[in-house]
Amino acid sequence: MKPRPLVRELTRLLGPDAVLWRTEDVMLYEYDGLSVTAPPEAVVLPSTTEHVVGIVKLAAREGVPVVARGAGTGLSGGSVAMEGGIVIGFARMKRIIEIDIENLRARVQPGVVNMDLTLAVGDQGCYFAPDPSSQKACTIGGNVAENAGGPHTLAYGVTTNHILGLEVVLPDGEIIHTGARFWDRPGYDLTGFVVGSEGTLGIVTEITARLSRKPEAVKTLLAIYDDVLDAPRTVAAITARRITPAALEMMDGFTLRAVEAAFHAGFPMDSAAVLLIEVEGLRETVEDDADQIEAICQENHAREVRRAKSAEERDLLWRGRKNAFGALGRISPNYYVQDGVIPRTRLPEMLGFIGQVGQKYQLRIGNIFHAGDGNLHPLLMFDARDKDQTVRVTKAAGEIMAKCVEMGGSLTGEHGVGIEKRDLMPLIFSADDLEMMQKLKAVFNPRGTLNPAKLLPTTKMCGEIRVQISTGGVL
Amino acid sequence: MNTAVETMQREFVAIVGASHVVSEPAACSALSVDGKAPQCVVYPASAADVTAVLRCAAELGLAVIPCRNGTKLGTGNPPRRYDVALSLKDMNRVWHYEPDDLTVTVEPGMKFGDFQHFVGRQGLWLPLDPPGGARASLGGIVATNATGPLRLYYGAPRDMVLGMKIATVEGKVVKAGGRVVKNVAGYDIAKLLIGSYGTLGVIVETSFKLFPLPAGRETFVMPTGTLSIARDLRRRILHSPLTPLRMVLLNPSAAELTLAGTPLERPVKEPEIWLEMAGSPRVLERCHGELEGLAKAAGAPLQRLASADAENVWTGISDLQSWLPGRSPGVVILRALLPDAASEELLSRAEQEAENDKALLAGFAQLGVGVLHFCLLSEAATPAVLGLIRRLRGAAESLGGVLIVERCHWDIKDRVDAWGSPGDDFAVMKKVKETWDPKGTLSPGRFLGRA
Ligand SMILES: Cc1cc2nc3c(=O)[nH]c(=O)nc-3n(C[C@H](O)[C@H](O)[C@H](O)COP(=O)(O)OP(=O)(O)OC[C@H]3O[C@@H](n4cnc5c(N)ncnc54)[C@H](O)[C@@H]3O)c2cc1C
Repeated sequence: MKPRPLVRELTRLLGPDAVLWRTEDVMLYEYDGLSVTAPPEAVVLPSTTEHVVGIVKLAAREGVPVVARGAGTGLSGGSVAMEGGIVIGFARMKRIIEIDIENLRARVQPGVVNMDLTLAVGDQGCYFAPDPSSQKACTIGGNVAENAGGPHTLAYGVTTNHILGLEVVLPDGEIIHTGARFWDRPGYDLTGFVVGSEGTLGIVTEITARLSRKPEAVKTLLAIYDDVLDAPRTVAAITARRITPAALEMMDGFTLRAVEAAFHAGFPMDSAAVLLIEVEGLRETVEDDADQIEAICQENHAREVRRAKSAEERDLLWRGRKNAFGALGRISPNYYVQDGVIPRTRLPEMLGFIGQVGQKYQLRIGNIFHAGDGNLHPLLMFDARDKDQTVRVTKAAGEIMAKCVEMGGSLTGEHGVGIEKRDLMPLIFSADDLEMMQKLKAVFNPRGTLNPAKLLPTTKMCGEIRVQISTGGVL
Repeated sequence: MNTAVETMQREFVAIVGASHVVSEPAACSALSVDGKAPQCVVYPASAADVTAVLRCAAELGLAVIPCRNGTKLGTGNPPRRYDVALSLKDMNRVWHYEPDDLTVTVEPGMKFGDFQHFVGRQGLWLPLDPPGGARASLGGIVATNATGPLRLYYGAPRDMVLGMKIATVEGKVVKAGGRVVKNVAGYDIAKLLIGSYGTLGVIVETSFKLFPLPAGRETFVMPTGTLSIARDLRRRILHSPLTPLRMVLLNPSAAELTLAGTPLERPVKEPEIWLEMAGSPRVLERCHGELEGLAKAAGAPLQRLASADAENVWTGISDLQSWLPGRSPGVVILRALLPDAASEELLSRAEQEAENDKALLAGFAQLGVGVLHFCLLSEAATPAVLGLIRRLRGAAESLGGVLIVERCHWDIKDRVDAWGSPGDDFAVMKKVKETWDPKGTLSPGRFLGRA
């Protein structure tokens, strides 16, 4: 196999060890966490912003698409090169450029793994607040592109609330610097607009992030329920009592049995649901909040409320929660993660609805919710080798999404639209809304060569639910 | 009256009705911007009215400035043209309010004070202390991303807006975001509107995330002797486990000015740190103890204030724009933004610069936030004030920040860019503006990048 001219040019630009093009090498970059696959023509691994500029200029000249890629943990197909072209991998741009504790700022390259930033500032009492469950693998560039959330974003906000400025390479090779090292620089908030744009507006080559201070005290509670609906009722009651925990997560019995089998985290095998609740802050606040929350759990018929007695116990509970997707992966050949949002007071109703959908389509569904902010992750179990099951999964997911919308919610709380939900967008946005998005996209990416086929629907026609999942191993 | 004005009025009356179009000089001049009064004020009653008025104005080639009470109209470059004030006064309905979801959707004309009162009954609030205070409108707060010292703990409108509807000059209503607290579907268009100062579209509806009111609050005052002691205290407090809701450093002129006319009026000789803590009585007791320790270590005394007095002072500090011009008509108000750690340094340089000019400068630094307000009080001659503003801007820029002219007499506004020079992303910003407002109908000339 001989390299094509494009590959030869890329090699001239970056050196042979930074360009992958053989089928077996690019295969690893064909998919992300969604399992839609498409092979790129070449994968390049730049080390500098100048490299990125060179790559996009070359791509622009040749008219080939460019797709940025972090760790490929995305769950909506964001980093899959749907129309081929060049994938820019950020594995070599993972330097923490500057840490400024007094100003609570860090400047990083996009390939820095989320957890690595938190670890780098940990002994100075700081951390990076957005904590997606994938934080040991996913990159800050990917977090910025997806506007990632996590269990603790309930109290501290999602990625966009922690990003001050970006260096962005536009598809014509121009470098711009948005935002600043302080908040509210005059001018349009291009930083806020690029965050969550799923790699369709520009390639992010540097990020100025806000660091947070670790709280003095943390208490982790595990509330255990015999009736699954009592868990979301507790969530609504906690919110209604004006308590904001740092995290408020729910897993149903089906999920936690899988988690327990895999991790022995101490979740009770026979319960119908658990809430994992964390309160943070000053010692006194944390004690008061924990007592109040415990009382609310009891009022809502918790069988038992446990408190983690040590840091190890706490870590174990969180390890179970953060690896829950993987645990379910062990008991089913495939699963499909949904990501809807509803007003949190409607959680009990929604849980009932998901149960009905599971029955209707004869599917096992595990429920993992960032319950505190109404962000649902139903996991639909299936076997992709069975065509009929795949069709049923698609339909069931579509019904759940439609219900989220009907309840005044959203199609995605953190995983993004990508290729997966692009054709569902007309469910929540009118033709005028989408047209404005299209026009604003064109300001940055006029020829559509940056991450094509993502985020915006291909037609303005309303409604047809088409959740794309193909066969192939998940994760 | 010339025919162009007549045409315009006739068109607007056809849309919103005669009672919603006003051209009396008094009404117009009340909403004048930098010495320019509009030809008429239009009061739309609905999103549909707003779109129709905007489309009509764009067709007639008119310039429109959206507004409400005018609390922030002084900020920005002088308008190149100004024909119509679009007052959102009559749009103050609440569309959705779900206290137990902590979400609310409201029209832009609602006054901030009324809103806080409305949600306060359920123990909720929007934790902002913006310029304009109770009189500010929600639309104006969002359009300017207005914050005060509470930004330290709670963030800005940027962090609290869940979604919005925007009327465009094309005559459409565009939706951005939604009503739930977490949402990444589509581009985050609301971010572009937040802080756009009425230059892209008119916000006709906003959904906010609400917050529980704190259990109790208490204000503490620390006279700090010198700015370097102040810096030391800021570091110790922000590095301690304590989490102040807001914390400001006032130079003596600023403190005296703010306290004048309140029960706390007194002469002030040294910089003071004011901070507000929140929590249960037990928490506040502990804060008191720890702050006392920190203050003692820095050689500063600590004073605890009664809450009614404190609230007045906080309102004064966050809403300088409302009362200061009344007391000092020629006052120039500047806002510097910079990395927080340089706050005391900038304040010190600013005092020096003012002293060199024999000008009186009241300095308010929002600690932990990186926002400083400088108020130039003396009625200095125009060229001197201009020189001082430029030097203060230079000082802010040399410390990695920027300086915005929030208020000054319009005859010098022509000679100093309100925003400072834009960065390398300005070309993209211009295209964003052209995308929303190709004819320059909305607030022309007011925003960034005056050549
Ligand atoms: C087990 C598991 C748990 C997860 N839990 C969470 C969770 O709790 N919360 C959550 O929000 N998400 C979660 N995710 C989803 C995923 O981890 C996040 O979306 C993450 O932010 C993706 O980061 P990444 O580095 O893997 O990016 P990728 O998947 O490689 O890319 C994601 C998108 O970012 C773009 N992109 C990447 N780098 C750049 C760049 N430098 N410039 C421009 N665009 C770029 C890509 O083009 C793509 O569109 C989870 C995923 C898994 C597999």
